[in-house]
Amino acid sequence: MSLIAEFLGSIRGFIQTQNGDELRNWLLVEPNVAAHYYELGQQLRSSCPANSGNIEKLVEKHLPEEDDVPEGRGSPWPGFNSFMEEYLKYWRDVDFNDIVKLYGRLSDLLISCANALANPTYGIMLLQTSMSLSEALSKLVMSITKEPSLMAQIQGDMTGDEAGEKKSIVELAADIIQKIFTSCLTDRSSTRWQPPKGKKIAVYLFANLTLKLLFACDKSRLAVQMFTNLSTSGPALSLYPASQRVTFLYYLGRFNFDHGHYMRAHWCFEEAYRQCHPQFLKHRRQILIYWIPSNLLLARFPSQMLLSRPEAAGFADIFIPICAAIRTGNFVAFHQALNASRDWLWDRGLYLTLLYRLKPLVWRSFTRKTFLLTWEGAQGGDPNMMNTNRAAPALSLADLVTTATYVQKLLEGYVPTIAAGNTLTLIPPQGGQPKRLMPSEGLIFGNKQPDPDSMESIVAGLVYAGLLNGFIARQQKKFAVEGAKRKNGNAVLAGWPCPYESIMERFREDYEEELAAADAGETNEPPGEFEDVPGWVKMG
Amino acid sequence: MASTQPKTDVKSTEPKPEQPITEKKTAVLEEDDEFEDFPVDDWEAEDTEAAKGNNETKHLWEESWDDDDTSDDFSSQLKEELKKVEAAKNR
Repeated sequence: MSLIAEFLGSIRGFIQTQNGDELRNWLLVEPNVAAHYYELGQQLRSSCPANSGNIEKLVEKHLPEEDDVPEGRGSPWPGFNSFMEEYLKYWRDVDFNDIVKLYGRLSDLLISCANALANPTYGIMLLQTSMSLSEALSKLVMSITKEPSLMAQIQGDMTGDEAGEKKSIVELAADIIQKIFTSCLTDRSSTRWQPPKGKKIAVYLFANLTLKLLFACDKSRLAVQMFTNLSTSGPALSLYPASQRVTFLYYLGRFNFDHGHYMRAHWCFEEAYRQCHPQFLKHRRQILIYWIPSNLLLARFPSQMLLSRPEAAGFADIFIPICAAIRTGNFVAFHQALNASRDWLWDRGLYLTLLYRLKPLVWRSFTRKTFLLTWEGAQGGDPNMMNTNRAAPALSLADLVTTATYVQKLLEGYVPTIAAGNTLTLIPPQGGQPKRLMPSEGLIFGNKQPDPDSMESIVAGLVYAGLLNGFIARQQKKFAVEGAKRKNGNAVLAGWPCPYESIMERFREDYEEELAAADAGETNEPPGEFEDVPGWVKMG
Repeated sequence: MASTQPKTDVKSTEPKPEQPITEKKTAVLEEDDEFEDFPVDDWEAEDTEAAKGNNETKHLWEESWDDDDTSDDFSSQLKEELKKVEAAKNR
């Protein structure tokens, strides 16, 4: 009995002196603790069996609520006592070998802690404990997700909500931690623009822990509510320590990447990278893993300078072949480059995104190449020269069908060989039959052969995206380049403007449209600054 | 001349130049893929790239990478194919 009384007595002392650090140091939950925690458990088992009500009595006795608490001192409160009861029950009943049960108990304990934390007067004392318990639950949950048999056991035990939507244990843990985040966010000890005080100190710590969990279980979209809340009432990120800023921006970048907002993703990763101390190579590397693809999708290639940095070791082998394929408009090389790094890309959720979303850039280069090869003004000379050709520069869709058909055959396994008369010919693959292609492996769709309609459709798509500058003259079956005069007769430059600039211009146009709509009163929420990223709170 | 040495001998005695390189590559590329906790809470802004001017970060990305070269193998093949089709049309 005495160990329990001693323990509670010490806890009471920390409460009275409002010592959150010591509370955290004492309220441990992991298996690698000092022996007296196990002794505590033993004593609890012998003197406080389940349903005896003895734990409740002990807590009431040793943690009495005080009236007339002097300034600067604290007192136990009902929420805290409930939490202490849970805590003692935890050590009475814990079996570190029964992971499934352990998960349940630790979740319940954290929920109880979160409720106690919510107390407006004294809750702040449990901030550090909330953090350590959240980290413990998080660690446990992440290790469970790596063991499929354990996952199956836990998922089997859980009942779903309506429509059979089962929440995974990672999601449930993230829910609990997000509630703590919200509790810190709504703390009134300081405003958004002041150095944080009280529970507000931990806003980004809990945000980051939630994000870590959500990304670990591939549910990053669930973070949207948290980012919205931060945009609405969150404190400025710059008021927080560097480690929290960098971590948060990394996850915000990942979130935007997952949702196709590559410009925003770039802004977040750029700032995370810039603010990350140069000695933390592993972190800088982790940022680069997603920052480089973000920029590829904005039509920007990593420079030699970036790829030669120590944290980018090995990335040249992955990304340079992809860039080379895009640059030359070579679909065969494009597929080869992606496949060469397929596992690495796939494990990071990058393979499919790059496969589907970089294709337009390959098409852009391919149409550009076909134009360079067919337009008289470009042949036999510097395409940057003045256009002396009277005819308006145009790309014949029939020519595009020719070159595309050739490439489709290459993709189907045909081999270019020198035949009689020194001509180049395509030999069918071994077995005589073209390879059966998956939908994404073909130019258009599997083995579908390029035809004028498909080529027109693709060119139209590129024009619509702003990657090609001109229009389709349907009667003449050509893509007519616009604005060559403005570019000193350089039709290639006019018809195929710098893709990154086109993409940026498109973002700006969308933004201006939003501004105009807001001015006209068409929307309730005017857009912020052009470079605003929802969730990233910047000082006014 | 056919080698009289059994395959296993050759494998064990001759060094494989390929292997060390690929092993090194995988070792470098294998990461935990988790954004770990930083070992310290905070650091001086002056020590980061954010403090230095924008010059460094501006050279990290290439925006103008278009290739006008049509002398490579791929382009030559396309050129030939276009000529062939044109010739067939004019026959």
